[in-house]
Amino acid sequence: MPETMTAVSEYPLEFRLNNQPVRCRVPVERTLADFLHDDLGLTGTKLGCSRGVCGACVTLVDGKPVASCSTFAFQVNGREVLSIEGLETDGVLHTIQQAFVARSAFQCGYCTAGMVLLTKSLLDHHPEPSRELIVEWISSNVCRCTGYALIIEAVEEAARKLRAERQP
Amino acid sequence: MSAVQPTLKQVGVSAPRSDAHAKVSGRAIYGPDITLPGMLHAKLLRSPRAHARVVSIDATAARAMPGVRAVLTRDEIPKNIVPFYGYFIKDQPMVALDTVRYIGDIVCAVAADTEAAAVQALQAIKVVYEDLPVASGIEAALQPEMPALFEQAPMGIVPPYGQGASAVLRPRKNVCYEFAYSTGSADAFAGCDHVFEDEFRFSRMTHYHLEPFVSVADARAGQIQVWASCQNPFPLRKEIARMFKRPENQITVHVPYVGGGFGSKNNVKTEAVSVMLSLMSGRPVRLCLTMEESFLTNTQHAAILRLKTGVMNDGTLIARESEILLDAGAYSDASPLVAEKAGYRVPGPYRWKHINTTCACVMTNTAPAGPFRGFGGTQASWASESQVDMIARRLGIDPYEMRMRNLLALHEPFMPGESGVDSDMREGLDLVCEAIGYHGRKHDNSGPVKRGMGIAIGFKDGGGVNKPAQARVKMSTNGDVFLQCGTVEIGQGAHTTLAQVVAEVLGTRVERISYARINTDFTPFDQGTNASSGVAVMGRAVMRAAEALRCQILEFAAREMKVPVAELALEDATIVYGDKRQPLAPLVMRHFGGTGYEFSADGYYKPELDHHAPLEAQCVFWEIGWGAVEVEVDTETGQIKVLKLVASGDTGRSLNPLVCRGQEDGAALMGLAQTLFERMVYDGSGRLLNGDPLTYRVPLAEDLPREFSTITQEQGHGPGPYGSKGAGEATILPIASAVANAVHDAIGVRITELPITPVKILEALGRA
Repeated sequence: MPETMTAVSEYPLEFRLNNQPVRCRVPVERTLADFLHDDLGLTGTKLGCSRGVCGACVTLVDGKPVASCSTFAFQVNGREVLSIEGLETDGVLHTIQQAFVARSAFQCGYCTAGMVLLTKSLLDHHPEPSRELIVEWISSNVCRCTGYALIIEAVEEAARKLRAERQP
Repeated sequence: MSAVQPTLKQVGVSAPRSDAHAKVSGRAIYGPDITLPGMLHAKLLRSPRAHARVVSIDATAARAMPGVRAVLTRDEIPKNIVPFYGYFIKDQPMVALDTVRYIGDIVCAVAADTEAAAVQALQAIKVVYEDLPVASGIEAALQPEMPALFEQAPMGIVPPYGQGASAVLRPRKNVCYEFAYSTGSADAFAGCDHVFEDEFRFSRMTHYHLEPFVSVADARAGQIQVWASCQNPFPLRKEIARMFKRPENQITVHVPYVGGGFGSKNNVKTEAVSVMLSLMSGRPVRLCLTMEESFLTNTQHAAILRLKTGVMNDGTLIARESEILLDAGAYSDASPLVAEKAGYRVPGPYRWKHINTTCACVMTNTAPAGPFRGFGGTQASWASESQVDMIARRLGIDPYEMRMRNLLALHEPFMPGESGVDSDMREGLDLVCEAIGYHGRKHDNSGPVKRGMGIAIGFKDGGGVNKPAQARVKMSTNGDVFLQCGTVEIGQGAHTTLAQVVAEVLGTRVERISYARINTDFTPFDQGTNASSGVAVMGRAVMRAAEALRCQILEFAAREMKVPVAELALEDATIVYGDKRQPLAPLVMRHFGGTGYEFSADGYYKPELDHHAPLEAQCVFWEIGWGAVEVEVDTETGQIKVLKLVASGDTGRSLNPLVCRGQEDGAALMGLAQTLFERMVYDGSGRLLNGDPLTYRVPLAEDLPREFSTITQEQGHGPGPYGSKGAGEATILPIASAVANAVHDAIGVRITELPITPVKILEALGRA
């Protein structure tokens, strides 16, 4: 074992990830992004800028979007974390994911997990967002490919469909 | 029998992308997701000096640190390898030898058990530098007293050129390559009513692909395997083979999904170092760069463009001479190719009697510039479409009329020996003018906030030069289809659109087609995913492969069924014969036995070599972007607001309309960002001031103009499958000049340097 590993102190971590309980020890300096991607093999969380700017690594912590590259893993102790892998139910894509497929609201796909989760949080908090509110939220993440118009359309479509699903 | 075209079912519809599920579910695997057992992590020590001699490197302490498995400095490079890479000119060393040439130049590399251990080890390496004068930009590099970045000429070649074109390696100090193109006689200027000379400046962007540069190399057991975030796996294989003196069949390049490139992921980036460290350590090595390092790895070309244009009183364009200086940065990378294209494209889409252009790649102590969406066409269009507009206004002609008078007609050759233009450019211009309300425009500009409209036509040759394409299509006993070709899925939707072509030819559905993962051992050879060549070049090879496969299957069925092949059709692994429908599988099992068979056919396409064509092969298709913009300029603050932007490209025929729209939207917004704010800022001493994600501004959703639309034209003249041609670069081309033209329309002053900022507007108004 290299010496650098033994000097690191660890933190006992207990939280819910994608509706499953997780208990483990995690090095204090481990970011949530590295913890998910490297330690748990949940590679859907993408590291873009690693500076909390681009939003590719967004996960939802207690329903709110956080840049997991700029969050320590120990900070989610006792919380509820949703990563992109937790959005499907029984292999069926979430309505938001379906809307991104239907509107071709992605190209290279590297920002997509972050965009989809950001949208989930937006629509959970604001089921009937105005276009302005969508633009404001989506502006916290970077997509270098699409020019955003199709993403905005996908969010609008997802909002419509989710509202329809809630109708009795 | 009537000659009715069969209705297309798979092509021309916005089929969900075949990579959709993988990408929205988070299952898609990219370069940074690749891990191998026992894999080490590499990090790079980069030069803090812009230009310096490397006096000494002491890595003794680093080597002794825990977890460190290999340290690569100039002293570890084996004698039997060639440590340089590049395109036409092999001048970039895998790690610095005697000189560092820009801040960020790679000096050493460490492979360790963890990234953290590698970073710690780098901090223990002592390098002594001796500073040299810094060529911070084009003009500084060309000063007589500035020393050469390269004392000796690096190894390089000039490819053969055709009619009117030529190039020289290292024509003068700090110029690594100069391209020239000439047609007609310079006497044409003598007959002109007016000759105008103008200079334009083009700023540079970084690609800002969200997925970092990354590779995993495993050089154990003789075979060198590389998993790379790369848009040209076969040239990468060739380059690794050349550097490490290995046969190409001992190198395998794997390409997973690529998280954006926009040109930057061509050729060697991290791979030479990861391979070298793997050879040294005997372990797999992963080298994943940070976004800050991306800024230091590859950029667009800043440029100075000087245009001298002769015209008649009525606005007829006659002659143009131009001198373009590209800022190539510290290493040549793809600069010679970009110079070719910038130099060749500067005439724009107009008819001329005389053209004489040169384009030089100037070496500076800044990050190496390379391929970037638009590839010289963006620079050329910025200058050309600005100047055409300026000339129109000087002559009192409407810029629309000026363009209409001079545009090449459909099928008219761009230059002598060149292919005909495959879009009706007047039709496209009318379309965007109508969409924005150009002709009836009325602006009340009596107040301090003024409005104006501008138009432009960006223009480039598409599909690469003399680019071959090969594809293979296979069908299993049950009718499952495999498409194999080297086009990398980098976001452009190539997997989907090419699968749509195959589905159409084979009468099946896109869902039945898999796009085989790229592995240079099995994938048919390809030169690279670039130059918008996916549809117009690879698409033709794919279509031919699918047609050959259909032929093969139908001939097999005809023999088995003992009926004439001409009367058979293929529909989703079913043979249709009159009103009979015979599934393919039983025929296969009867002939080949119970384990079945796999039909397989190849397709090939390459443009003809043609010495009459200036670039040695005629251009495959023309990628043209029309732009129309309405702006509002506050003459008191200099604030500029784009109220309306209409951009349009001609896809010939959209194989997948939503995929095409995504390309045009994305390219247009990238162009708008460069026009208004996005650029790399150097401080004059070789230091990049905004080389990080927080201070480098890329467009966000809130930067979309209030009214933003792209219109995909389908004029039907493309050479690709079903009349298609390439997309993805067209709409980046016209935006900057359209905005500058609109600003001129609004406030009567001309901005000739990008980006168009409030400060420049106030300066131009004499108010700064």
